[in-house]
Amino acid sequence: MGKTYNLEIPLNRVEGDLELKVQIEDNRINDAWISGVMFRDFENILKGRAALDGIVITPRICGICSTGHLYAANKAIEMILDIEIPDNAVRLRNLALMVEMIQGDMRHGFLYFFPQFVNITYSHIPMFSEAVRRYAPLKGEIYIETIKETKKLLEIMGIIGGQWPHTSFMIPGGVSAIPNESDLVQCVYLLKHFKFWYEKRILGCHVERFLEVKNASDLDIWLNENELHQKSDLGFYIRYAKEIGLDSIGKGHCNFISFGGFDHNIIHSGFSFEGDIEEFNHEKISESLAYSWFKDNNRDEHPFQGETRAYATGKESKKYSWAKAPRYKGIPAETGPLSEKIISGNPLFYDLIKHKGPNVFIRELSRLVRVAETIPIMEKYLHEISHSEPFYLSPKNIVDGEGFGLINVARGALGHWVKIKQGKISNYQIITPTSWNASPRDSAGIRGPMEEALIGTQIDNISNLVNIEHVIRSFDPCLVCTVHSLKIRN
Amino acid sequence: MSNSLYWMQCGSCGGDSMSFLNSESPDIIELIETFNINLLWHPSLAYITHEQHTQVVKKIISGEQSLDILCIEGAIIRGPSGTGVYDTSISEPKKDLVIKLANQAKYVLAVGTCASYGGVCSAGGVEGTGLQFHKKNNGGFLGDSFLSKGGYPVINLPGCPCHGEIIVRTIMALISDSKILLTEFNAPINWYGILVHQGCTRNEYHEYQVEDKVFGDKGCLFFHLGCHGPIAYGSCNKLLWNRYGSKTRIGIPCLGCTMPDFPQPYPFFSTRNIEGIPLSLPDGIDRAHYIAYKGIAAATAPKRLKERKTNI
Repeated sequence: MGKTYNLEIPLNRVEGDLELKVQIEDNRINDAWISGVMFRDFENILKGRAALDGIVITPRICGICSTGHLYAANKAIEMILDIEIPDNAVRLRNLALMVEMIQGDMRHGFLYFFPQFVNITYSHIPMFSEAVRRYAPLKGEIYIETIKETKKLLEIMGIIGGQWPHTSFMIPGGVSAIPNESDLVQCVYLLKHFKFWYEKRILGCHVERFLEVKNASDLDIWLNENELHQKSDLGFYIRYAKEIGLDSIGKGHCNFISFGGFDHNIIHSGFSFEGDIEEFNHEKISESLAYSWFKDNNRDEHPFQGETRAYATGKESKKYSWAKAPRYKGIPAETGPLSEKIISGNPLFYDLIKHKGPNVFIRELSRLVRVAETIPIMEKYLHEISHSEPFYLSPKNIVDGEGFGLINVARGALGHWVKIKQGKISNYQIITPTSWNASPRDSAGIRGPMEEALIGTQIDNISNLVNIEHVIRSFDPCLVCTVHSLKIRN
Repeated sequence: MSNSLYWMQCGSCGGDSMSFLNSESPDIIELIETFNINLLWHPSLAYITHEQHTQVVKKIISGEQSLDILCIEGAIIRGPSGTGVYDTSISEPKKDLVIKLANQAKYVLAVGTCASYGGVCSAGGVEGTGLQFHKKNNGGFLGDSFLSKGGYPVINLPGCPCHGEIIVRTIMALISDSKILLTEFNAPINWYGILVHQGCTRNEYHEYQVEDKVFGDKGCLFFHLGCHGPIAYGSCNKLLWNRYGSKTRIGIPCLGCTMPDFPQPYPFFSTRNIEGIPLSLPDGIDRAHYIAYKGIAAATAPKRLKERKTNI
């Protein structure tokens, strides 16, 4: 009989504040609790404000996903106004969201996830010194290049969005500015520059070549095709991740959710349960507060009905997080790039999870290669923007009603639900991607996706918890987003 | 001698850290290398274990490790009822750690409007406040008499977020012992002594009172669409964002996010006015003279502006 340990661990290199508690028995995690430990009361801030103020306030929930919040907030208001926006506005909004996604995928990967590869645990592996050269924090080649290249890509946001983070260029009816011909040429250049770097450094081949990879065996063929592929960061990732066993940890519930994205059916919406994909219906979403620091009415509620009253119980009760527990048909589901690929029917990722389900390796792979699929769409948008068509159609005055904006952003499914009464916000509920992933247990006692993914993880050395870090970071958690949407009743 | 820097996130969205990563000249890697910065901790960038971090904090508090620059991002969350339980680290309220670190630091920087004045975080029920200001009032969390070991009050770098260039240039100024002059709200005059209006590409429209009532056009946004450009202090149109942009350059009114009362309690995107003239006018202006001047200016407006025929 091995020893049982209970550990409390705060985690850095995630967005925001996350702590977890794990129980380890016989060198394996047999239970886990994930806590969001900061909250800022955004819903109370929004309540009673003017109808349009949500598009200023909600991006401030998160400094890394602010464009996503801006987009969702606008969609919710546009649903109330019952308006469609011009194609040019859709193109520019999507372009901006894709820039935010790419910088997020790259910064998450090379600033937060890959530094784990230089953990001392792996110093005996022949590839270790190469990993240090590439990924050492603040010093590794790719670490430094990622800071430079993502910063330069974000110049597109300076041009079309005025600034990043916390851009405001989307308004109900479209976008507020028309980039001129020269601005668009500069965006084309900036995207080409980024693509050149991504192909040379990350893929080791052209985007088009990588997109020919349709299943696990294609991926092997691609890897062994030449030295450029093997030595690229993607090639190195595949080799190193398998060497250190990332393909055997972090399975989780194997349920996926996606709200769809980009308005042109590029990312599908849906819910995947035990391999079957079903049509998405937002009415099937509910939130449980049983294990969250809120008073609950002993029933799970849809965001339009959701009521939350902060209730800090301390450590004595079963409650342990400022995050709520969203469920679809009462079932927990993970969200993120892997979910959107599974639900959109991507053959490579469908094949990869077919036999053994998801794992850390597959989850991070989906983030690394999402860029390859995104860049050609961005090029198409830039090409299609037409100065003879409108960018903004001024809507009629704001009317009362309720609306929602659901969209996939960098970390997965994001939803805003808003009610407008007498021209003011009477209720605002937000469920962020990390709310799904980092959720605590629900009223049935079922663990959230990240908690479940930790179960069974091997911990050989109690003073080195790198496997836990791999599992948690494979979800790219963003806690500043998650612990946001709470309101207090005095 | 290296210069130690500890960056702490409290009630924050992480946007100032993202902005810091966007700094251009120098970028953060160059900043660290050329100014010999020993980055003791940054929640997104540090690569040390929890135990090592605990040791670093202990050493700072005991004085064994010197702390040259303490950067705080996000508001200090004091709720509920002053306990700080809404923002903790391993069950300890972060606010308690802020005091201990601030007392040891040579300089304390409040990075962003939340840390400076409370910002978005002071608007809800979490009892959020700025480090040494609560909105316009001196005091805040540390109290109006607080001076760091280097003899400065908390140096506020407001903005939602703060421009990355302002963060790195302030850090360089402190390390270089360059004197930093502050505004009445303790923000560096070099960045916060000018109006957002200065450098706005819509200035000609503003000059002749050619005002837009709906979005998507080229006119001035001050009279109807709630622009704070002529009344808010910040360098958004001097020091452009991501090398190219600012809100007014893409047709969005300045939201006044560098100001102590951000977010304003009244609606964004509409200008409060008295008989068609904005309620809030630029500092130091005589209302009657302003009305007369604007009347003449509007009458003088060239046709090409009235027809929105210039490029901006």
